[in-house]
Amino acid sequence: MNTALNLSTAPHARDRWTTSFIMKVVLLSLLPTTVIGVIVNGWHALWIVLLSMVTAVASEWVFNRICHKPDTIQDCSAAVTGLLLALSLSPSVPLYIPVLGSLFAVVIAKGCFGGLGKNFINPALAGRCFLLLSFGKVMSTFAVDGVSSATPMAEMAAGNAVDITKMFLGTGGGVIGSSILAMMVGGLALWAFDFIHGQICFSVLGGFTVFLAIFGGHGLDPHYLLAHLCGGGVVMGAFFMATDYVTSPVTRLGQTVYGLTIGILGALFRLHGSTADSFSYSIIVGNLLTPMIDTYIVQKPYSLRRFGRKTLVKRSLQDRIPRPVIALAIITAVAGVALSGVYSMTEDTINEQKAEAARASFRVVCPEAETFKAVGAYDAAIEGQAGGSWGTNFGRSKINEAYMGVDAAGNTVGYVISATSSDGFDGTVTLALGLNAEGVMNGISFTELHETAGMGMRADEDAFKGQFAGKASFPLKLTKNGEASAENEIDAISGASVTSNAVINAVNAGLDFYESVMKGGN
Amino acid sequence: MKNTFRGGVHPAGHKELTRELPLQLFNPKGEMVFPLQQHIGKPAKPVVKKNDPVLVGQKIAEADGFVSAHIFSSCSGTVKAIEKRRVLGGQLADCIVIDNDGQFTPAEGFGTREEENTLSDNDIIQRVQDAGIVGLGGAGFPTHVKLRPKKPDSIKYIIANGAECEPYLTCNDQLMRTNAHDIIEGLELMLRLFPNADGVIAIEDNKPEAIEAMQLAATGHTRIVVFPMQTKYPQGGERSLISAIAGVDFSISQLPADVGCLVDNVGTIYAIQRAVLYKEPLFAQCFTLTGEAVANPGNYIVRDGTSFAELLEAAGGLKEGVTLRKALVGGPMMGVAVGSLDVPIQKQNNGLTLLAEDPVEAAERVMTACLHCGRCTTVCPVGLMPQLMADAAEMGNYERYEQKLSGLECVQCGSCTYICPAKRPLMQTFKRAKAEIQAQKKREGGGQK
Repeated sequence: MNTALNLSTAPHARDRWTTSFIMKVVLLSLLPTTVIGVIVNGWHALWIVLLSMVTAVASEWVFNRICHKPDTIQDCSAAVTGLLLALSLSPSVPLYIPVLGSLFAVVIAKGCFGGLGKNFINPALAGRCFLLLSFGKVMSTFAVDGVSSATPMAEMAAGNAVDITKMFLGTGGGVIGSSILAMMVGGLALWAFDFIHGQICFSVLGGFTVFLAIFGGHGLDPHYLLAHLCGGGVVMGAFFMATDYVTSPVTRLGQTVYGLTIGILGALFRLHGSTADSFSYSIIVGNLLTPMIDTYIVQKPYSLRRFGRKTLVKRSLQDRIPRPVIALAIITAVAGVALSGVYSMTEDTINEQKAEAARASFRVVCPEAETFKAVGAYDAAIEGQAGGSWGTNFGRSKINEAYMGVDAAGNTVGYVISATSSDGFDGTVTLALGLNAEGVMNGISFTELHETAGMGMRADEDAFKGQFAGKASFPLKLTKNGEASAENEIDAISGASVTSNAVINAVNAGLDFYESVMKGGN
Repeated sequence: MKNTFRGGVHPAGHKELTRELPLQLFNPKGEMVFPLQQHIGKPAKPVVKKNDPVLVGQKIAEADGFVSAHIFSSCSGTVKAIEKRRVLGGQLADCIVIDNDGQFTPAEGFGTREEENTLSDNDIIQRVQDAGIVGLGGAGFPTHVKLRPKKPDSIKYIIANGAECEPYLTCNDQLMRTNAHDIIEGLELMLRLFPNADGVIAIEDNKPEAIEAMQLAATGHTRIVVFPMQTKYPQGGERSLISAIAGVDFSISQLPADVGCLVDNVGTIYAIQRAVLYKEPLFAQCFTLTGEAVANPGNYIVRDGTSFAELLEAAGGLKEGVTLRKALVGGPMMGVAVGSLDVPIQKQNNGLTLLAEDPVEAAERVMTACLHCGRCTTVCPVGLMPQLMADAAEMGNYERYEQKLSGLECVQCGSCTYICPAKRPLMQTFKRAKAEIQAQKKREGGGQK
């Protein structure tokens, strides 16, 4: 009977929790978010989720096969990566996007670094950022059932009001996993049952909120803070991405430092960054800092801590908190303060310059006018733009200013309108358009255009913008390949349809404004 | 007073197998084997020869030096041999083998109660030493050494360890239920040696009957309190108890006496009472035979030198249809896995747990890479960071292991290994690292001389 006795070092008991159990619980905690995402966004979203998960698991299996490594798909971490990636995608992306993203996440970000536990950045985030950099246009197109819509994040970036309740429930547009309510339920449950570290998620949220409250320019305005917290994957990042065990520090202090860094950087990027996906990048920065944090912030055993306290020699701050951490904290704080300071100091100058640029543009598009006269009715109409955009047919376009052009004798010689579209490839496109007294367009002039050089920037060339002079029918339409023939057709810039669309939308909004407000009035 | 330490784990107790079964004396029939080393310190020297007749309680080996302990026969019969025999660790060791005549005739000179008031402090310690008492909690440290700290006046707490945090084991629970008065008496004797100390009886709250019995017995004893504690492993570790009771965490380089504490297992204290008041030497102690593979689990008073196999057989052997996968002397958390049951029970053994399924084997099948989840750090009762220690040890970075991570402070309780979801073999890594560092130091020290 004694032949088959196992020998091993104590302890001879093991807890029930295994790696795959933890991963399965994480999958379960994401279930409500996934279900709501699919209900709100339709079957295409379900396909994205399934394809992403299947690709993740399959590519891990194949990768392990090729590399002669033991099979690891049972630990379910690949499935978690696939699901997280899918939830951070727009519901309208074509199906090759989740496939490529999962492949990159599992093979490049995880497998190539030695598999689960060895990766230095969160695989799902790596996949998402890979997609953002490689397929920026597709990734930032949000359309439900073919109708393109503005995401709450884009609305906020454009300074528009957003519906927090919708964002909270997940019906306000955005990525598949945009239901904050479901995310919070899952995330808080994970925290309550000790699957994720509270130090991380709460310091991320805390750092983010406090930074926005101080530097956001809206103080403690709950609407402003909640809108930012509910948008742009902050909650998903705080509860599901930043808390990834592998890529976060292990001490409580380290986790707090890490969480605050992510929160503050996220807020900083949000205020001054150029993209709505800033939160992903701030978590990646946190991931990259983790090895350093774990090298320097380690906890001492209780016994040594106690004696440390008893010694009479007062230890300096530097001994207790490692220097790189202090440096990091200071750099972060200084950068934040400096950026905000510079921004607020130069805000007036910038606005003045913008106004000057606008006036100059007005002269270009309405050369006959001596002065531009403000008209009460115009201003009232501009004030009254619902939801910060003019009408609903022009994408996210709004009217900034509108004036009547008057010559030296006081006769009306034309009209000028400044319009902005937020649908540009890289942010906003602002232009001035001018019409003569009869309502025929004199032309357009850009006051704000920072599209891709050689592509979107070609909007500023006469070949494109020269087409607008003389147009009188509304609305204008885009055609491709130089086929513009009808009175209301404009040739798109080849290879820059997003920019072309933004311009047309802004112009059409301006024309619509002219038709409905300025025309026939005095 | 807090009623627990920081960290810790909650392994499944499995105490229901034996918790209601009272202690019964087991008289073996076969030959008895007494290893000369059943304690920390130098092995004892035999004082009997082959073919000598021996009686129960007769000294058969004498302590060699201060940190060592006498060994007494637990049966009557004749000395068969003094030879190498297989012992617990699997190795061969010098043992006295006695042919048991089955009569258990006691030797003269013990068994009658004496009036304790006539005893001086020195008498008490001398009798403990004469009785060959060692720590019965598992370590086997000679108790008389513990009773002579450098500064007896600085001892604040004498802790009677009845926590029994090890899963499966219940013999101390039963001992406290049935011999509460004796334990209190033993503790009072110890308190006489330490004028500034209070006696604290620490019991986990999963043993309400024992708590009640001890509280009843402690009524009127002003220097003794019964202290119910949270049920949590390693609550019965001496550092955990001191952290919870005295509020002090101390380094591995210090002894409990350095922080004004003295910890003894309730079994040891019972043995002290028998030794001081009855002059009874230590040759038997309470013992739990348990585990899912055992047909009839039970609590016993076993005689030292009894073979584990004989006890198991007499108790009804293994459950029918069950294959024994793992035999643990002690419980699953601190116990030692043995390859054979044909070895003798020693003084510090307090249980045999026989498992039909090996949790370690099952865990090894689902082992993954470390997730850095931090559970090990949360449960470490010492406040270490096991995952970073394991990283450092695996990379051979012993300097970081020892200096930055204080890895040598590890008390090897195994909580980190128990909790690890990735099922990493942390304890093995730490044991290896410790051995490696000590070997390195020895080499360096040798080089300097």
